[in-house]
Amino acid sequence: MELFTYCKNRQRRGFLQKMALSMKLTTAFLLLAVMQISARGLSQKISLSGKKLSLEEVFSVIEQQTPFSFVYKYNDIQRSQPVNLRLRNVSVQQALDACLKGQHLSYTIEKDIIAIKKEVGEDKEDSSSLSLLEAVSGVVTNEAGEPLAGVTVHVQGSTRSVATDGKGAFSIQADEKEILEFSIVGYESKRMPVGADKKIVVTLAVSQKSINEIVVTALGIRRSEKSLTYATQQVSGDELNRVKTDNLMNSLNGKVAGLTISPSASGVGGSAKVILRGSRSANGNNQPLYVIDGVPITNSANANGQPTSTYGGSPDGGDGISNLNPEDIASISVLEGASAAALYGSQAQNGVILITTKKGRAGQAQINFSSSFTADNIAYKPSLQSSYGQTKSGATDSWGPSISGGNHDNLKDFFQTGTNWTNAINLSTGSTNAQTYFSYANTSAKGVEPGNKLERNNFTVRETAHFLNDKLTVDANINYVAQTINNSPALGIYNNPLTGLYLFPRGLDITPYKNQYLFADSTGFARQNWPFNDALYQQNPWWIVHMEPNTATRNRILFNGSVRYDVASWLNIQVRGNVDRTADNYESDEYAGTNALYNTNGHGHLMLSNQTTEQKYGDLIANFHIPIHSDFKIDGLIGSSITDNTTQGLTLQGDLSTPDFFTPGNIIASLAGLTSITTSNTTAIVPNHSQLQAVFGNANVSYKDWAYLTLTGRNDWSSNLAFTPNFSYFYPSAGLSLILNQMLKLPKFIDYAKIRGTYAQVGNTVPPYLTFIQNTQNAAGQLVFNTANAFRTLKPERTNSTELGTDLRFLDNKLKVSFTYYKTNTKNQYFPIQPVTASLYSTGYVNAGNIQNSGIEFTLGYDLIHRGAFTWTTSVNGAVNRNKVLDVDSKDSINSFVLTSNYNNAYESHLTKGGSYGDIYGYTIQRDAQGRIVLNGSGTAADPYKPQQSSAFNYIGNPNPKFQLGWSNEFTYKKVSFSFLVDGKFGGQVLSLTQAILDQYGVSKVTGDARNQGGVKINGVDNTGKAITTVNPQVWYEAIGGRTGISGEYIYSATVVRLREAALGYTLPVPNGGFFKSVKLSLIGRNLIYFYKKAPFDPELTMSTGNGLSGVDVFNQPATRNIGLNLNVTF
Amino acid sequence: MQISYKSITVIFLTLLIGSLSGCTKDFEKIDTNPTALSNSQTIAILSTAYGPLEQSIYSNYQTAQNLSADAYAGYMMSPTPFKAEYNLNYFLVDGWDRNGFVDQYNLVMAPISKIAAAGTQAKAPDLWAVALLIQVEAMDRVTDRFGPIPYSKAGTSLTSVAYDSQQAVYNEFFSQIDTAVADLQAYMAANPGKAPLGTSDLIYGGSYTEWLKFANSLRLRLAMRIVKADPVTAQAQAEKAMNATGGLLSAPSDDALIAQSGGRNNDIWTVTQSYGDNRLGAALATYLTGYSDPRLPVYCAPATDPAFPGQYIGIRIGINIAAKSDYEGYASLNTTSNFTQTAPQLIMTAAEMWFLKAEAALRGWSGAGDAQTDYETGINVSLAQWGVPSPNYINDATHLPAAYTDPKNSTNNSPALSTITIQWDPAATDEQKLERIITQKWLAIFPDGQEAWADFRRTGYPRLFTVVNNESNGTISTQTQIRRLAYPVSEYTANGTAVNNAVQTLLGGADNGGTRLWWDVNKGNF
Repeated sequence: MELFTYCKNRQRRGFLQKMALSMKLTTAFLLLAVMQISARGLSQKISLSGKKLSLEEVFSVIEQQTPFSFVYKYNDIQRSQPVNLRLRNVSVQQALDACLKGQHLSYTIEKDIIAIKKEVGEDKEDSSSLSLLEAVSGVVTNEAGEPLAGVTVHVQGSTRSVATDGKGAFSIQADEKEILEFSIVGYESKRMPVGADKKIVVTLAVSQKSINEIVVTALGIRRSEKSLTYATQQVSGDELNRVKTDNLMNSLNGKVAGLTISPSASGVGGSAKVILRGSRSANGNNQPLYVIDGVPITNSANANGQPTSTYGGSPDGGDGISNLNPEDIASISVLEGASAAALYGSQAQNGVILITTKKGRAGQAQINFSSSFTADNIAYKPSLQSSYGQTKSGATDSWGPSISGGNHDNLKDFFQTGTNWTNAINLSTGSTNAQTYFSYANTSAKGVEPGNKLERNNFTVRETAHFLNDKLTVDANINYVAQTINNSPALGIYNNPLTGLYLFPRGLDITPYKNQYLFADSTGFARQNWPFNDALYQQNPWWIVHMEPNTATRNRILFNGSVRYDVASWLNIQVRGNVDRTADNYESDEYAGTNALYNTNGHGHLMLSNQTTEQKYGDLIANFHIPIHSDFKIDGLIGSSITDNTTQGLTLQGDLSTPDFFTPGNIIASLAGLTSITTSNTTAIVPNHSQLQAVFGNANVSYKDWAYLTLTGRNDWSSNLAFTPNFSYFYPSAGLSLILNQMLKLPKFIDYAKIRGTYAQVGNTVPPYLTFIQNTQNAAGQLVFNTANAFRTLKPERTNSTELGTDLRFLDNKLKVSFTYYKTNTKNQYFPIQPVTASLYSTGYVNAGNIQNSGIEFTLGYDLIHRGAFTWTTSVNGAVNRNKVLDVDSKDSINSFVLTSNYNNAYESHLTKGGSYGDIYGYTIQRDAQGRIVLNGSGTAADPYKPQQSSAFNYIGNPNPKFQLGWSNEFTYKKVSFSFLVDGKFGGQVLSLTQAILDQYGVSKVTGDARNQGGVKINGVDNTGKAITTVNPQVWYEAIGGRTGISGEYIYSATVVRLREAALGYTLPVPNGGFFKSVKLSLIGRNLIYFYKKAPFDPELTMSTGNGLSGVDVFNQPATRNIGLNLNVTF
Repeated sequence: MQISYKSITVIFLTLLIGSLSGCTKDFEKIDTNPTALSNSQTIAILSTAYGPLEQSIYSNYQTAQNLSADAYAGYMMSPTPFKAEYNLNYFLVDGWDRNGFVDQYNLVMAPISKIAAAGTQAKAPDLWAVALLIQVEAMDRVTDRFGPIPYSKAGTSLTSVAYDSQQAVYNEFFSQIDTAVADLQAYMAANPGKAPLGTSDLIYGGSYTEWLKFANSLRLRLAMRIVKADPVTAQAQAEKAMNATGGLLSAPSDDALIAQSGGRNNDIWTVTQSYGDNRLGAALATYLTGYSDPRLPVYCAPATDPAFPGQYIGIRIGINIAAKSDYEGYASLNTTSNFTQTAPQLIMTAAEMWFLKAEAALRGWSGAGDAQTDYETGINVSLAQWGVPSPNYINDATHLPAAYTDPKNSTNNSPALSTITIQWDPAATDEQKLERIITQKWLAIFPDGQEAWADFRRTGYPRLFTVVNNESNGTISTQTQIRRLAYPVSEYTANGTAVNNAVQTLLGGADNGGTRLWWDVNKGNF
């Protein structure tokens, strides 16, 4: 009872509730466990009798009576003979011996798995010749470095064959010129020459064709694919590393159905927006949870965050996931639906990206080295006119007289060829008791904008060890990441070199401004050599890249540890934990001479921040399977976890006292002209401390290998709901899958048919500090009341999700089809609302909203040709998502929530009832009932015809793709391989404010063309109804263009189809027993061809990876095209 | 069976440890933002919130008061043609007038509701008393602009707050003043000489003696306002105020002035000197020049226009202005020695009280004293307040208000507005006496256009120039002049049911500038 004294009063209630709940869960599982607590492993006796029993029947009975499961290839036992058995209290081995006698089948037993294999033919070789051969030994592991037991090792063309033991080790007699074949169910077979050193380490890749495919699921649990009740997709490390990018998530683009990746247009080291099955949360996070080896990590951005308005200004500093070394990744599983993610709880509402990393391997030491180089160039340029010059001397626009020789390409003077060097080495070694993995990677990249650089170093050490007769497994892993990003390009209107570059008057020579961007002998604002100061605050592009440097450095330590103890053959207990600590430093210097908007006193401006984000996670899980003797089998887990997130840091910024002296002490601390106030320029970053505790359980019930039922339950306690009556919330999921081909007699061409369905709820908590409203003080030390309304009845956000799907395989497993339908509704969303004035609250919070995402996903893989040395496999993935805002907060008469405010520019993004997430609002042109443009004015020079802008913002488009398709192909012929990926995003609209502004300034090609043809041709009428077909181009484009113009005229189709990546590889012949084991060289390319693109920019690129600013281009850096070489060497 | 026992034990331990770690006792601590103040820290620095509260009475001064009340009171006029149609020619600009509504809720009532939520009423009734007085002072300005407002129900709902009739609002004001007076008296009796607010109080430096005078004075001001609508309450409250312990503001040292602090600038200085958007109104110019008033150079700065430099020519309200430069050089306000960048801003003066007592005496209310004495004291207190004592001024029976001549546009010209003289005439009619009192009150309480506009609406004095252009589309009579401002559109969008209900049942007319407020009864003054 002492225990309770820790938890006082109302807290005790939370504790008791939790106890009660965990007891409930426990009792359910324990009861089942206690009933059948007589497992005795191999000593288990079985009784079995019957006539003409098929082997499948026999196996099924053994499975019912023992904890063992069988794995076998159906083809192998198809031709076996029925057996007559009369067994009573015999051991498993005895039973197997009896039924496999004369069947040319053999078995191996590893833990609770019995693998049945085809026996190799009788030994016809002269045994005397064998004695001349030496023993070759080695180890077989999976891609995660885990030993594979029961792998058949066969010497090609001989009858010699062995199976690997429990540690994946084998020993077989073979000549160094002979070739070994490795095969096991569930994995791709592999052939390998013996070589001189007689020590072999083999990694087998998970088979794409196998029925009993193993899939990594939530909490890192491996389960057979057929028992899954939801869709998951896996991407192997090889596939991920084929064509490298600076953010590994970008390598997933186009490869996974239902996954939408929008890279930030912010140069090297930029973030990526990752959305699974559509955006759903109005005010919360929409990105998935990232999990490494079962344990969640953070995806924290630089303290600088993401831009929130079309002005932009603060550059993107990269996200958390991009910090990882892709070479350390063995595979990625994408758990898209809530069902798959239910065990991770609130954090996983938006799906989970599960990353399995590489481990050391038992056996011989191996070293892999890879080196990749790409050269990056901008993939398109804005189309500019070259026949009309500056309006008049000193003007910033180009509505002037016609000129000749205006063809000079200013962009070429500015953009450079970016490069990306990635060198990675990893070493692995180990005995059967302990394995070590070490890796180091260096990424050194240069962006297409001068000065933009990325330097990243990753170190990883991982140690896996087994103790106490392999009952205790300890795994520890340390990653250290040191990263520096220089001069991330600013997006938007402010501080962006592209405004000055693109808008530079046509026909003028920009090179003097490049050669001399600063007047060294001048002071203050006069130092910058730039003749214009206009409403866009454009500056000399070279001034910005040289004299407004910014640096984001990041040091991240990620420590993972896990201990697993096998208590019994049916139970293991596992404790895991991680600490993910990221320290960010950001500095932005603006030298004296920078535009007065950013640098009030002309002495320069400094912004500094340091921020440490830390996530600590721990869990304790008991995994069990109930050794029950029936057609039913039950396994599952119970566990609890705790996640604690916090941020600490300081920011400071201000104008400088001594010009260009960038140190905190030089920031002017008091406001100019005032005597009584001293403002502190230092602010503590709000720590956003939050803690999530959970108790969860999962039970999987299977019946006869063809029906699988999965149930999960999780209860979360969120500290962010403290001060509310109830900070605990529970959510369940249930799923069922049926393997039709084992239930029913199906036509022969169907090898596998599964149908599955799940229903799940996942909750999501609210941000911290909303339930307890605290006051602050201002710089003068005065109390400032926080008039937000404390949310005492806040309910956690909740997503209800339903998913139905099927997985089918035809034609000898060559054709694989998977199809999923889903529907999710996210309710109880937390919205800040603007209450009525007399409420005396500045902000209120409500639980409201219903955002629905529904859609289908499919994948289709076909092993098209497998003829001799030539193979061709192809796969297609596709997804359709429909996002609907069913309700915002109609009970409070609120039907719209603004995701991005317009701040007086002609772009706004909304969540409006009846619309869909991220709807773009802007000004539209006034038309009459017949669709003709209604013009103001009388057509005279003094009062020209002019289009009219709507008085309010109207819906003009939605950027979300309606349909996505990825098509990848892989060809191999002997030592040559070729692969390519084409993907398309169809539907949706995007807005180009860049084009609008280029038009307004008269620099764009359309404005030149309009002038060449004597005016803008339109179908319009004047106020009197007279038809008007031609409008003065300057009047027209100055009215519709610009950042506050008629943005509805700058909406483009977001459809884009591209050759996403291509790789041509050649495996060099290496001498057997030489220094190199394998050498592969590839020519790689990314974003090579746009097959279809109508927008003047790449619609996939995003200005922000947050919830707002989607589908708008405001002087975003163009997408790049990357071509390079990749070298992989194994020693 | 050995294994099973062990297993059960382990599972049980697993859960136990899991649940122990799951103790949520720290949740409230975790969910408390350490970079924000705790409740006890809030209480500890509560007094520092008062300065910003006081300053907020004049929040968004230009749009909330200067471009409406100050001009409607005849004090000032803007040389800036902001728009072709705007407040100054009776086309009401929602975006401007809204500030005079929402700011007092957001910046005064909302923080005061948090002061209440912090338990101040019980813990520090004296601080609560001052908060109430600031709230009444601020919200009176709102109800006097718009009429019925949400008051008693404010803070009860996020989505719909009902309006109170203006009579109910005034009754609530009186009762809140009752509370404030009782709390202050109790505190002062128990803690003589204590001033917990100290220098955080930008008006009285924490002096409760002065705050008590302020409370009584505010009661008198509000009582007189409703004399036509509810004479019984008016007389009762006025008599209560005039006979109250602590007394009224009586000498310039009692004047309620908000000192500038924290980088805030004097609003008159800002709109006049910094923005160049404010100049002398024609009405004030003609009265002051006509009377040869010693306050003329104190309040005003002469014209700088090269055509008539040094002359005190104001701008008439509602005229055509083609360009700002046309009228920028007209007479302005004295921003060099009086309405300077750091000069404090008045909200109530002792002079005003003497004129209120004069009117009360005229009405025969007890405790008011003698009308002539009150009137003359009011003038002398005002002259003393501005440092220009002129003993003979009260005896001037000859000077009359001047006619108005616009040197740039004769269509704006007008004969003199009134023939009222300065010297008290005991033989005059009550109506003439009232005009004399209010005219001198108007000259004395400058530059508080809000109070002056209220007096003009209630009494019809002083006589003021009508707008030259009336762009109200017939909703506001040029002759009777503007009576109120229209409710902000934001009320219709956010608090629609309540405001529509108020317009239908409480306002007594259409929601425009022509509808009279409850206390603005269209009948004679006596």
